[in-house]
Amino acid sequence: MAIIKLSNVTKRYGSETALDGLDLTVQSGEIYGFLGPNGAGKSTTINLILDFIRPTTGEVRVFGLDARAETLEIRNRTGILPEGVETYDRLTGRKHVEFAIESKGADDDPDELLERVGIADAADRKAGGYSKGMAQRLMLATALVGEPDLLILDEPSTGLDPNAAREMREIIREENRRGATVFFSSHILGQVEAICDRVGILRDGHLVAEDTIEGLRDSMPERTRLRVELDRVPDDSAGALEAVQSVDGVSEVSADGTTLVVTCEDRAKSAVLRAIEEYGVTVDDFATDESSLEELFMAYTEGDAQGVRQ
Amino acid sequence: MSAVTVAKKEFEDAVRSRKLMAMTAVFALFTFGGAYLAAQLGEFFAEISEEGAQGTLDLVFALQTPASYLVPIIALMVSYKAICGERESGSLKFLLGLPHTRNDVVFGKVLGRSAVVAASILIGFAVGLGGLVAFVGSVSIVDYLLFTLITVVFGLVYVCLGIGISSLTRSTTRAAVGAFGLIIFFWIVWSFLLQALLYYVEGTLIPEQYPGWYVGLASISPDAAYGSALGAVFDESALTMASAYGIEDLPMIAEPWFGFVLLALWALVPLGLGVWRFGRTDL
Repeated sequence: MAIIKLSNVTKRYGSETALDGLDLTVQSGEIYGFLGPNGAGKSTTINLILDFIRPTTGEVRVFGLDARAETLEIRNRTGILPEGVETYDRLTGRKHVEFAIESKGADDDPDELLERVGIADAADRKAGGYSKGMAQRLMLATALVGEPDLLILDEPSTGLDPNAAREMREIIREENRRGATVFFSSHILGQVEAICDRVGILRDGHLVAEDTIEGLRDSMPERTRLRVELDRVPDDSAGALEAVQSVDGVSEVSADGTTLVVTCEDRAKSAVLRAIEEYGVTVDDFATDESSLEELFMAYTEGDAQGVRQ
Repeated sequence: MSAVTVAKKEFEDAVRSRKLMAMTAVFALFTFGGAYLAAQLGEFFAEISEEGAQGTLDLVFALQTPASYLVPIIALMVSYKAICGERESGSLKFLLGLPHTRNDVVFGKVLGRSAVVAASILIGFAVGLGGLVAFVGSVSIVDYLLFTLITVVFGLVYVCLGIGISSLTRSTTRAAVGAFGLIIFFWIVWSFLLQALLYYVEGTLIPEQYPGWYVGLASISPDAAYGSALGAVFDESALTMASAYGIEDLPMIAEPWFGFVLLALWALVPLGLGVWRFGRTDL
């Protein structure tokens, strides 16, 4: 069953198009990672799901309910961690959680929730004195109120150190095991790949890829980074660079003294080496490394992504 | 119920504002000073009219002036950022991420912040009452409570006005300019415009008989409406437009009872506009 469903959603701000005919489905029980560089439209999508903004055209449904007309019912069943949210500086951490509990008509124990996100000792301090990381933990605690069926987390690791980010992921896993569907956005792949069942990559208001991490890896043409050591700088170094660049399958070339780094598809490796040697230099040594997921993500979100677009 | 939950949170949040505490202290200082002045004036009038100090009039002298200047400032200070401030900082997304409609949020804020302003007025007036008892001696408690009640209503009008403005914009700067610009407008610009119009129409700034339209227009501002409303309740001729301008045949708008209508309009029209706009806008 689809928990979140966006059908052909377009959102324009004046002449600017933030989302362009977006279709997105999040299935019940999955952890969905919503990836994309800043400005790709991730927050716009989340704001549409939460009815903070309204689509120019298209339809947004959550739990099968209309996001706009039945927003209260949706929010009753949803826990939300908005992006870069501010706390109420003059209220204590516990007050925030108590307010969320009262708002949702839930019967959680505020201290238990604060304990769970690791800020129980700061419960009676005013949130204005919290660090960014603590504020983020507090907001997570309020999102967990009432055992929501859906958790929407917008850049949840903002302001968290690596350790806290790991704790955050652990909580997300626990919630998912309990039965909650999780939808969370990030511009950093590393935070997503560890826990997501499925990933969608957004770029310029379009979903350019949607698959499991494994699936994404397979759909990419194998990319290799080739590190070549030459015996000397070629006489016509600019010409050599150009020649390598023009080899079919090469996407990036950079030179540093006698070291050449070439990003290319696997099949282009030997052609690259031949092209270099035509400029009268000898290859002393070369090494390759597998494309990391991070590079894969970069390939989707910047540069030319035609090769990976289905 | 949702609005009440929001209201409680709003009260607890806003009542802890240092600025509010400072303004309440200033207000208390002025009501206390007003009580002292009222006592002096009372003695002065007692000497010239040989009638003795008039309790209610003392009250008015003591409290109306500080209230009509400071209550709008306090109320707008408490309210102008209520919506747009949260929009600017992003905390509105926390609030609206919980099961509250946008209308719940606006009405909750009106309730909560009204309670804060009412508390501030009650503190100021309690100090004023102390001053009156100390300097004047006897005070009519019924009059005093009525006066307090109408002043609280006056404060609520400005809270509605402030929250209405606050829900129309996403910039606190613009809300501040709108809210405090309105105060300046009614305190200075409006009367200046009226004088200019008077001079244009009548050819003099001090006509023997003020024209009805002039008195009517001068009665429109919330502050004038507050004066009218007080006049209606206390039946005190000193407060009404009729005595201020020395005319018998008042336009309806300047009638004392119409002060309540004007107060209601000043509260509901901007607030209604704000609610309407806020319900439809992208956050």
